[in-house]
Amino acid sequence: MMDWQIEALKLAGSLLAVFAVAWLVSKMRLGGEARIRDAAHAIQLAEDAEVGFGGVEVGLDRAGYAALVRNAAGRQMLIRAHGVQFAAREVDTGFSGRLDKEYLTLTAPERTFGSVTLRLGKDAGLWASRMRDVTRSA
Amino acid sequence: MPPSFSPVDFAIPAFILLILIEMVVARRRDPTRYEARDTLTSLLLGTGSTVASVLTGGIIFGLALWLYEHRLFDMGWAWWAWALCFVLDDLAYYWAHRTGHRVRWFWAAHVNHHSSQHYNLSTALRQTWTGFFALSFIFRIPLALIGFHPAMIIFCGALNLIYQFWIHTEAIGRLPAWFEAVMNTPSHHRVHHAVNPRYLDRNYAGVFIIWDRMLGTFVREEDSDPVRYGIVKQLGSFNILWAAFHEWIGIARDLWAAPWRYKLGYLWREPGWTHDGSRLTSGMIRARWRDAERSADQLSES
Repeated sequence: MMDWQIEALKLAGSLLAVFAVAWLVSKMRLGGEARIRDAAHAIQLAEDAEVGFGGVEVGLDRAGYAALVRNAAGRQMLIRAHGVQFAAREVDTGFSGRLDKEYLTLTAPERTFGSVTLRLGKDAGLWASRMRDVTRSA
Repeated sequence: MPPSFSPVDFAIPAFILLILIEMVVARRRDPTRYEARDTLTSLLLGTGSTVASVLTGGIIFGLALWLYEHRLFDMGWAWWAWALCFVLDDLAYYWAHRTGHRVRWFWAAHVNHHSSQHYNLSTALRQTWTGFFALSFIFRIPLALIGFHPAMIIFCGALNLIYQFWIHTEAIGRLPAWFEAVMNTPSHHRVHHAVNPRYLDRNYAGVFIIWDRMLGTFVREEDSDPVRYGIVKQLGSFNILWAAFHEWIGIARDLWAAPWRYKLGYLWREPGWTHDGSRLTSGMIRARWRDAERSADQLSES
């Protein structure tokens, strides 16, 4: 066998093993879905994302999938579940938002971070207007 | 005689077996230690990395052979040359790794190893695709100029890589004190993968943790500060291409946007550095955290 054929065989075997292991992880019910428990948890997650963020107010998605945390300076941090972990982004001028009754959808400028829809109930309008303030401050 | 086989090829079946064992342990102790999409991304990054090595390994080996032809000494193939090569290669790894965290150009190649928010054996295989492009090999091939045969250097480097596999786990707590004192361990390396301010940019060792102890970069894992894994700005995505290239894209954007006199800083300064102070380096994050800790202490005393 030629060297490249051996390497191609190794690659095929590796890919097979990779997909088999990932399939097993899911079959064994490893992982799960992260949820933000409450406002204190959201504030802690914002602090984990940025030391000294100092969240003072939280808009928590009813399902706990995501949250908006505001600090005393008016900055806002969007936190969302990412697998069994969380990821956060500061809501800045690159974000766009869409309000639909009690739902607020935020779209990050970073395409891979994607859009996040939060069910905020009657507070959705308040958070939407705060978001507009951030956008206007550009 | 130069060895003609790669120890990593022989280790791969053991890697897979150990991952399966760790998955069983995770299912019993904490199922959140694994996440299918994260594991898939890690393992595909590992596969891609081996492809990159096959494509570029010959060039690095050729360069090392050229250096070896101009060697200062002839270290030969005696047992002590192997031992010395292994130790010196590990020291070279320490500096390569430390630079990989402190210079954004090299960080761009290394960051994908840290971009998982999980810490399990599959994370160990989450290796770079762009190490050759970043010229990361320049730290280790000077051993050939000293007089170690390139085949010996590659063999020792492979053993180093194999050693580092098993330390990527939460399944092992702490090992006997004498071992923790000399060797890199799961506990020490958990610290290295942490984003907690206390732990950021610490414990760069490959095999011997003594380098960190000697060069002032060692931090112990504290039970009071459980490790959170990943990178300062978590990816929030399992996209494999984004994981492999996001920092390079970030560098390109910064180079484009920055005023001319600051452009080079985005290549050689530490990750997080900006000319306008709009982002935080690990040093700034640690300083903020220390300030916050001090304030909390003063508050509790009063």
